[in-house]
Amino acid sequence: MKLVTAVVKPFKLDEVKEALHDLGVAGLTVAEVHGHGRQRGHSEVYRGAEYTVDFVPKIRLDVVVGDDDAAGVVDAIVAAARTGQIGDGKVWVTPIEELVRIRTGERGPDAL
Amino acid sequence: MNVDPTRSDGESLRAARDGVVSGPLRRAELRAALSDLADEWLTDQLGAEADVALVAVGGYGRRELAPGSDLDVVLLHRGRADIKELADRIWYPLWDSGVKLDHSVRTVDEAVGVARTDLKAMLGMVEARHVAGDPELTTALRSQVLESWRRDARKRLPDVLAAVTERAEKYGELAFLLEPDLKESRGGLRDVHAMAAVAASWIADAPAAEVRGAAARLMDVRGELHRCSSRSGDRLVLQEHGAVAKALDYNDADALMRDVYDAARTVAFATDEMWRRVEGALRPPRRWRQRQPTRRPLADGVVEQDGEVVLARDADPAHDPVLVLRAAAAAAQAALPLSRHTLDRLAEHSAPMPEPWPAAARDALLALLGSGPDLVPVWEALDQVGVVVRLLPEWAAVRCHPQRNAIHRFTVDRHLVEAAVEAAALTRRVRRPDLLLLGALFHDIGKGFPGDHTDAGVAVLPTIGARLGLPAADVDLLVTLVRQHLLLPDTATRRDLDDPATVRLVADAVGDRTTLELLHALTIADARATGPAAWGEWKARLVDDLVARATAVLAGAPPPADGLLDETQLDLARAGVLDVQVTGDRVTVVAPDRPGLLWRWAGVLALHRLQIRSATATSVDRMAVTVFDVSPRFGSMPDWSAVRADVRRMYDDASSLAASLAERDRAYARASALEPAPPRVIWADDASESSTVVEVRAHDSVGLLYRLTAALAEAGLDVQSARMSTLGAEVVDAFYVVGDDGALVVDPLQRQHIEELLLTACRRPA
Repeated sequence: MKLVTAVVKPFKLDEVKEALHDLGVAGLTVAEVHGHGRQRGHSEVYRGAEYTVDFVPKIRLDVVVGDDDAAGVVDAIVAAARTGQIGDGKVWVTPIEELVRIRTGERGPDAL
Repeated sequence: MNVDPTRSDGESLRAARDGVVSGPLRRAELRAALSDLADEWLTDQLGAEADVALVAVGGYGRRELAPGSDLDVVLLHRGRADIKELADRIWYPLWDSGVKLDHSVRTVDEAVGVARTDLKAMLGMVEARHVAGDPELTTALRSQVLESWRRDARKRLPDVLAAVTERAEKYGELAFLLEPDLKESRGGLRDVHAMAAVAASWIADAPAAEVRGAAARLMDVRGELHRCSSRSGDRLVLQEHGAVAKALDYNDADALMRDVYDAARTVAFATDEMWRRVEGALRPPRRWRQRQPTRRPLADGVVEQDGEVVLARDADPAHDPVLVLRAAAAAAQAALPLSRHTLDRLAEHSAPMPEPWPAAARDALLALLGSGPDLVPVWEALDQVGVVVRLLPEWAAVRCHPQRNAIHRFTVDRHLVEAAVEAAALTRRVRRPDLLLLGALFHDIGKGFPGDHTDAGVAVLPTIGARLGLPAADVDLLVTLVRQHLLLPDTATRRDLDDPATVRLVADAVGDRTTLELLHALTIADARATGPAAWGEWKARLVDDLVARATAVLAGAPPPADGLLDETQLDLARAGVLDVQVTGDRVTVVAPDRPGLLWRWAGVLALHRLQIRSATATSVDRMAVTVFDVSPRFGSMPDWSAVRADVRRMYDDASSLAASLAERDRAYARASALEPAPPRVIWADDASESSTVVEVRAHDSVGLLYRLTAALAEAGLDVQSARMSTLGAEVVDAFYVVGDDGALVVDPLQRQHIEELLLTACRRPA
């Protein structure tokens, strides 16, 4: 099992959600986060004064999937979240040691 | 008794209780059946023992058991040596039965002793009821406990009140929460019990029938909540609304919640009333010198007396339809309650408000809305006596209207009032604080009508606007605010802000900067009033970003139109002499121009107890023309010949003005409430090329314009023209100034100095 984590632009959430749904991903966790990548935030000019935005609002998604599905999920997120501009975000995959569905106590892939 | 003899005592009680709980009984019948069952079982269990009695206290004492209630029992005895064994024989089967037991074993003296030191025990024992055994023991307990309670009530009631207040803070208000605690929230059952206890002390009357009816409705719901959830929790959580509504034959969950809210409001209002009476009764009597209550004026026809707002002796609501709003605004601004008698009088005897509303009514409504958190209790009091719905019939549709979802915390009506409270803190961010407050109050008014709530709100607003007598342009702006009140958060979180089309779309939908800043403030107020899930730094940043980008796209604020003078005013100016002309509530002062005229005129008007609602100052051919719209602060217009004489005197020599004003100022009541938003000074650099525009946004106070213009004079500035408006209780004043050399004011240090002088001027001298 793999944990696929993605940090994307907020307005891309709906598209990513739909892409994952089409792949048959049942559940995901979404968080409102702040962060920056290589762009180091950005500068804004507002009423003549320049100010720097250190951290920009982003959406973080966590999806747990089977080993075979991880690559497809990553591709789907990348395709859905890309605008081609700076600040599009990142996706990474982490192995999972154990998974339990709290309600039933099912473990491993059964709990997916 | 339907107890099965083949089972153990505990098991038989459990089976009998389960039978009652799963049976057809509901409401009061269910509560009584549960109590009767416990009574019978305890009577059997005690048997024919001497010198003991079983006494029900608390809710069990009142025969108000819900399926999940504790059984509160005292085993009274006359010093029996074997009392422990006897107690075990009763308590053990009860524990076995799974009933939650709150028990104690005491002699009468011990029980009374505990009641003297433990308030909770006292409140429980005030409602003691004999169940089994020797009735004389119960009678002795009851009479001694009540005697002690009545003797010590003056000392102990403040603790009861402290508990009521603490509960309200911790559990919130039943009437406005979507998942309220039926017992602990303000307006819940504990408040009813506290009222009963106070009545038992003979300091206040027993709760009225309407309160008892409301309490019964809350208990009905509590019983079904316990039954449906199979738990004893009293929090009416969202997932149980449907089942409880069905069990009590409501049409749907919304109907259930409306009824719960209505009951809670009745209880909360009666509770407040009673505690106010108790506080009055507990206050030490005045010494003979101070026999007369102190009264201080708050507004025309409205005075403060003993910590409450009451009507002045000569005030007459039957001939003064605006009085009710003036009294409410004065109460909210002074952070005081309206007295019950005043409320009833205003509700019953107020003349119908003329339509469209007179300007004074609009101003009073705005002053009320802009008063910050103190708006809430005053609005609630007005609503309880029917004044809100009489003035704004559309309010009936949102009153007690639940919004059952995870984001909202409040009912629609309370959400709107809370949004106005939040908006009051943002009034300095906008040029039109009045429209921000009205927008906040009405942005969700459509939720009470069928269909999409934004469309419904847009449809009903013109009616409201016409009734309030708002100019058509203001109604249009309000309609835009209501139509677009979700535009900013929706766009900021769902669209690409880097895409110029997104920003363009917002700019086009909004139209101009004034509307955009209003919409921005309304968005924040709305979200903050919704609940913790609706607003946070994350969303705020996205919205800020979007607003900054849209602002850059929109043109600068349009320069204010020239102050158009009518022919009579121009004639006056052409005459070239000092003159004062009064038509209705408009005062025009014409004088040969010289620096410092504005503060002189503002000072003279303040001296004659006139409130300046708006003012414009311009000059024509070296004649300064200043037009004021005024209203008398108390009673009627002043003697204009005296005003004219003062204007002439001050033109030549204004050295005595400051001292006279300070003396007059001492006669006014201090505003005790905190201002909802601190004053703000803004340099509007894109508004004019020939002079520097400094804008002051502040809460109105006695003599404010005088102090501001005097501060500008002190800073060595010449006011070329000015535009001042009082919107409700908020002031937006724009001064077009130049330095004494006629140059623009650009030096940052000089600007800082001017800002400090102006901000100091915003505060009334102590």
